Amino acid sequence: MEFLVASAVGMMTACGIYLILRKRTFPVIVGLAMLTYAVNVFIFASGRLTIGLPPIITHNPEGYTDPLTQALVLTAIVISFGMTAVIVMMALGSFLETGDDNIGMEEDRETPAKPQEGAE
Amino acid sequence: MIFDAILEPFAHAARVITDRLHNGSMARYLAIATLTILAAGYFAYGTGTHSPGTRTLTPIEPVPAVGWLLLVGSTAALFAYHRNRLLALVLVGVIGLMVSVGFVYLSAPDLALTQISVEVATVILLLLALNFLPKQSPVESSTGRRTRDGLIAAAAGIGIGALIYALMMRDFAFSPISEFHLANSKPGGGGTNVVNVILVDFRGYDTFGEIIVLGIAGLVIYALVEALLRGGPANDRLLAWVPDQKRAGDRHPLMLVVATRMILPIAIMVGAYIFLRGHNEPGGGFIAGLVVAIATVMQYMASGFGWAAARQRIDYHALIGWGVTIAGLCGVGSWFASRPFLSSNFGYFKLPFIEKFELATAAIFDVGVFLTVVGAVMLALASISRIAIRAGETVNAEPFDIQPDEVPASKGAR
Repeated sequence: MEFLVASAVGMMTACGIYLILRKRTFPVIVGLAMLTYAVNVFIFASGRLTIGLPPIITHNPEGYTDPLTQALVLTAIVISFGMTAVIVMMALGSFLETGDDNIGMEEDRETPAKPQEGAE
Repeated sequence: MIFDAILEPFAHAARVITDRLHNGSMARYLAIATLTILAAGYFAYGTGTHSPGTRTLTPIEPVPAVGWLLLVGSTAALFAYHRNRLLALVLVGVIGLMVSVGFVYLSAPDLALTQISVEVATVILLLLALNFLPKQSPVESSTGRRTRDGLIAAAAGIGIGALIYALMMRDFAFSPISEFHLANSKPGGGGTNVVNVILVDFRGYDTFGEIIVLGIAGLVIYALVEALLRGGPANDRLLAWVPDQKRAGDRHPLMLVVATRMILPIAIMVGAYIFLRGHNEPGGGFIAGLVVAIATVMQYMASGFGWAAARQRIDYHALIGWGVTIAGLCGVGSWFASRPFLSSNFGYFKLPFIEKFELATAAIFDVGVFLTVVGAVMLALASISRIAIRAGETVNAEPFDIQPDEVPASKGAR
């Protein structure tokens, strides 16, 4: 199971990093969302994995999983929604103001890489 | 003269380096930052010492393996199809769903509930934004650049994956504070859901700060929309807006309208239930707030902005304000018992006919959390919807496009 979680975190990080290196706002927002998932799962997994032992105090426990990382991640999930909403609004605002959803500044736009015909 | 001659080459070199690194391209900054972090991590790995992993691997069951396959498959698909933005959004939804299922499997029911409700709100938010943004990302980067970005991303992914794998295979170097939390949750905080007790009690100050941040985020979005809708290029563009996609003929389908209205009281009840059980079972202010906010957003989606706004009695700004105020006052209250800020107390009470139940002052704090979450989420989503109205999206004064109570006059109106 550890391997699955680790590979999923790695995969989501890679996808997030690739997307935040794009030049348009929307892929960058999606990339940040992917990085949020990756970081949340990372912090959660740093409490080590346990199956079927939620941190709810019961009468006959076999032990519990680490509750602290869960508490940290819970607020992180909600805050990240707030932050995503802010950057979405900023992206929308810049698109409506300029008619363009490029994230680079002017200098960057003067020398855009040539779009290649037929490239994916 | 000598001073200038010595300084000039340095100034020139500095200018060359700055111009190369600082060309106004965000992608370049992020690539440099990623590579630097990677290099620092690799250096730390190469020079530090580490003990071998001693923990045993948790077994892989078939069903979680299928979940993993879905998660990794949709991530790979997102990598390949991110140019189709709507498809990318669907894939993000699948990934979020799988993450929350993963949380519930790995003993984190609270996280799963939060993740799944945040997921709904995020997808609605991105859909609202995508209504105005282009639906496709053009191919702009050269193959070389895409390969380079892919390599950076792969290196970062492998690094993070290896790091968390190494972390999970080793035991804690020091005994974590979690044992204190587990031991003191019931006797000290009065609740059996340790995650919620940590949020509203042990780490209440932290949560207090977080709801303030969330409230600020909601207000910032409102302010940004206000600024956009004031006269200016954005406003002109919105007034001249021509939808680039075909509109649905029936914007407020009767079935959806009726169903969401029937569901609203039930959803509010579920929210109250989740809120009340939060101290002892998975739930709490954050999750209840999200559930209630989504139920309310459904009214906007089904019946239209105008209909829902006309029935809105409480200002979302006020909800945020009250939430933060209640949470703050709850903290101040503990001063009167000469205890530190945000200390909580609880007691057990007995009413006739029902079992003995517990009341904790932490619940008042949780009310503050609940109100702030509802206010911030609603303010964010409702603000973005206002842009659509400026773009000439008509507002239904009536709840339905088709009026079910419109009967011919001869039969007599209701």
